[in-house]
Amino acid sequence: MAFKKSNIPGEDIRLATEMTAKRRKLIDETPAAPLVYEYGVNRLAKDLHPGFVKAVIAEKTPCSADCWRIRLEPAAGEAFPYFRAGQFVTLSCRAGESFLSRPYSVISSPREALEGKLEIMVQRKGIFSTFLIDEAAAGTELIAGEPSGDFYFDSIRDRKHIVAIAGGSGVTPFLSMMKAIREGSEDFRLTLIYGARTRDHIPFDPEKFRGEGVEVIVVLSEEEAEGYRHGFITAGLLKEYIDCDTSVFMCGPDAMYRFVRGELESLGFDETKIRQERNSVGDREVSEIKAFRLIVHIRDAVYELEATNNETLITALERAGIPAVVRCRNGVCGFCHSRVVNGEYFIAKENDFRRSADKKFNYIHPCSTYPESDMEIDIPIMNP
Amino acid sequence: MDKYDVIVIGAGNGGLGAACRILNAGKTCLVCEKHNIPGGFATSFVRGRFEFEASLHEFNGIGTPEEPGSTRILFEQLGVADKIEWIQLKDAYHLISEAEGYDYVMPFGWEAFAKANNQLHPDGEKYINEFFALCQQIREAMAYIGETKGRPDPAVMMEKYPDYLACGSYSVNEAFEALGYPKEIVDNLNTYWCYLGADGNNLSFLHYANMIYSYFSKGAAIPKYRSHELSLAFEERIHELGGDIWFNSEVVKILTDEEGHVCGIRLKDGREIAARHVIANCSPHVVYGKLLDSEAVPERALKLTNFRKLAGRGFTVFLGISKSAEELGLKDHNYFVYDTTDNVKQYESMKKIGNTAAQATVCLNNADPDCSPEGTCIIYMTTLFTDDAWSSVDKEDYFKLKNKVAADMIERFEKATGTNIHDYIEEIAIATPETYARYCGHPQGTVYGYESQYYDGLMSRIQMVEEDRFVPGLRIGGGYGERLLGFPSSYKSGVNEAGRTLRDMEKEGR
Repeated sequence: MAFKKSNIPGEDIRLATEMTAKRRKLIDETPAAPLVYEYGVNRLAKDLHPGFVKAVIAEKTPCSADCWRIRLEPAAGEAFPYFRAGQFVTLSCRAGESFLSRPYSVISSPREALEGKLEIMVQRKGIFSTFLIDEAAAGTELIAGEPSGDFYFDSIRDRKHIVAIAGGSGVTPFLSMMKAIREGSEDFRLTLIYGARTRDHIPFDPEKFRGEGVEVIVVLSEEEAEGYRHGFITAGLLKEYIDCDTSVFMCGPDAMYRFVRGELESLGFDETKIRQERNSVGDREVSEIKAFRLIVHIRDAVYELEATNNETLITALERAGIPAVVRCRNGVCGFCHSRVVNGEYFIAKENDFRRSADKKFNYIHPCSTYPESDMEIDIPIMNP
Repeated sequence: MDKYDVIVIGAGNGGLGAACRILNAGKTCLVCEKHNIPGGFATSFVRGRFEFEASLHEFNGIGTPEEPGSTRILFEQLGVADKIEWIQLKDAYHLISEAEGYDYVMPFGWEAFAKANNQLHPDGEKYINEFFALCQQIREAMAYIGETKGRPDPAVMMEKYPDYLACGSYSVNEAFEALGYPKEIVDNLNTYWCYLGADGNNLSFLHYANMIYSYFSKGAAIPKYRSHELSLAFEERIHELGGDIWFNSEVVKILTDEEGHVCGIRLKDGREIAARHVIANCSPHVVYGKLLDSEAVPERALKLTNFRKLAGRGFTVFLGISKSAEELGLKDHNYFVYDTTDNVKQYESMKKIGNTAAQATVCLNNADPDCSPEGTCIIYMTTLFTDDAWSSVDKEDYFKLKNKVAADMIERFEKATGTNIHDYIEEIAIATPETYARYCGHPQGTVYGYESQYYDGLMSRIQMVEEDRFVPGLRIGGGYGERLLGFPSSYKSGVNEAGRTLRDMEKEGR
């Protein structure tokens, strides 16, 4: 064949040979105006995902036998981003020799965050919660990671009615959701079923949250009281609240998840409609505690420390005071994604959320990984 | 070490390719990446029991080990080919276009594809054979131009590649009009337009013909472990060659000396690293608008950058489904669901939020049955916005708006394929232009670099590549480069810029 468009002989080829000259001329004619520094889309992306925000403790209030509410304000010149009700923030700071980070679900609503209010609930459990409860005070500075996680209502994925099941400080994400429903930033029905030992162990005032679209049922296991259910969160109780348009969200201790999942299964509830917030990966039980040498590369810096087989690598890094990036602490988010240069390790199957290629090329999430030999790893720098 | 021969800004495809090329030549190289993993768009993410591919639909130019395509050859040269496991795709696509009532599957392979066109037009096969012969000449001409380092002998060009020259200036629509093929055949050949994202009046025919010929005749593949596998294969190669990659390490400044030559970079935390050569795997808008001091940016760099048009801004819905593809009734890997195959109209309606004129949807399990647990499947649907429609969205409306657009796309796909998906959505993630801006920093959340425009197409860019650079010691490669967007192009562009950087170094050394 012969390609021909123009009837003028040689015209097609002439046009082709002139392309660069025309382009050159068009560039010449374009103004040398300054380039836009930031676009609307990029600005919104930054507003929603600022990375880290410097925050200050504004207020600390006990709210049950073992829970405190801590209200944070942004440090001067900083701002909290809008977020999805149900998300968590990871707080970090230096405490003594260590550099600690822990994730906490947010009590505040998305709009309260825009007003500079970010409240979390802290239950006395470990080293960082003890630090926050006993040592930190109004004025203590912390670094807050941006609100993260996918424990939130999604209008496409979830049914319009959420039955939320919580225990302990696990009520926190649901407090945010209930506030969001009231302020109109979320649009779904929520029935909260909260399990506690006695009324003294309820870290929120159910009356304050009941309202349009929100029902609150408190189940006490060690006390009988008017206006409260007695016993456990059983199939019989769940049946009263679950309808054909329900998704179940759970946040609380692992023992609660196991029990409630069993009850839901006995009801024939579709398990793909159950979502649960994951708890931090803690120490593991080992027959013999062994200490290993851990070599850590951060950019061109090299650290050497001791790590034991019963603790996650992130715990070893924190104890050594190395500011290591970490966010969810349960293996899911991949924020601490690191390269194994050499060494053996263990990751429990239920905490292994690495990408398939990470397994192929030997990458780990230190927050859910235990050393099984001397190790050398390359971790990303913490760069707030 | 605080000094490297070359610093690469950005560990996207172009940056990773460039670093391997530099290191293969025995030079020292540091890659600085602002995210915590390599790859840019070439990545994946996990939600629940699903691992989603972030961007890749299909990769052309791989071929087979016996008959390697151009990208496989490039990967072999760089030393990454053995690190990647490929899955060959069976069919090209399933096209569903409402206006014309099209609903058919097209296979890969010259012969099979040509024959399948007989179902569209009695002489379909004849037209396709003629078209592919033209494409072959275009490819051979491009290869010859490459071999002559951009200085082909005009007499050879006239004698051996006259059709290449004759169609060289034309857009896709102009060329198809001249070829005079029936509408059904042209519509079918236009199906892949959204992989380049420019409408047929602007898109260079040479570029498009070259791409679709590669797809149809050589087929396409996907990496077994999503495109994160590609990125980690490159990262591993970089370490093998003694290179460094620093993550969470955003470059905020390219430093120049008194002569205006590049002398290093500054990271966000203030640390400076010296290097006489920088390859930026990011947009010239960012390089000239932010990374260089304004005094170091010549007027013509501003003119060129202002002259260019930002291409499609991405939008993708990722779905983890609690039913198998078979149970849903989805047989194909790659679906194009269009209002119309008239891509000038499509392009126009994609300027605003609210239309779902075009989507390219993948059901990954139909290429890789093991990509998700048994009884489940992974579906992802992509569209583009051809204007800056997402710039004025308020943060309080953002989450609802993205879910609305996603819901429309899901509904549209269900209607086109007669399936029910929404009842079985176990996991969902939605990427908007804001998401692409967040992870890769691209202006307006574009995923396609600079759009192929009539006078800013593949051939003009290649011919003017030296003219389009301004700062000694600095080169820009990747999806914004002379090869334009796409996986193979962005690797190639990065490798090419690295090759030019090595030549620059050689000249300086003399």
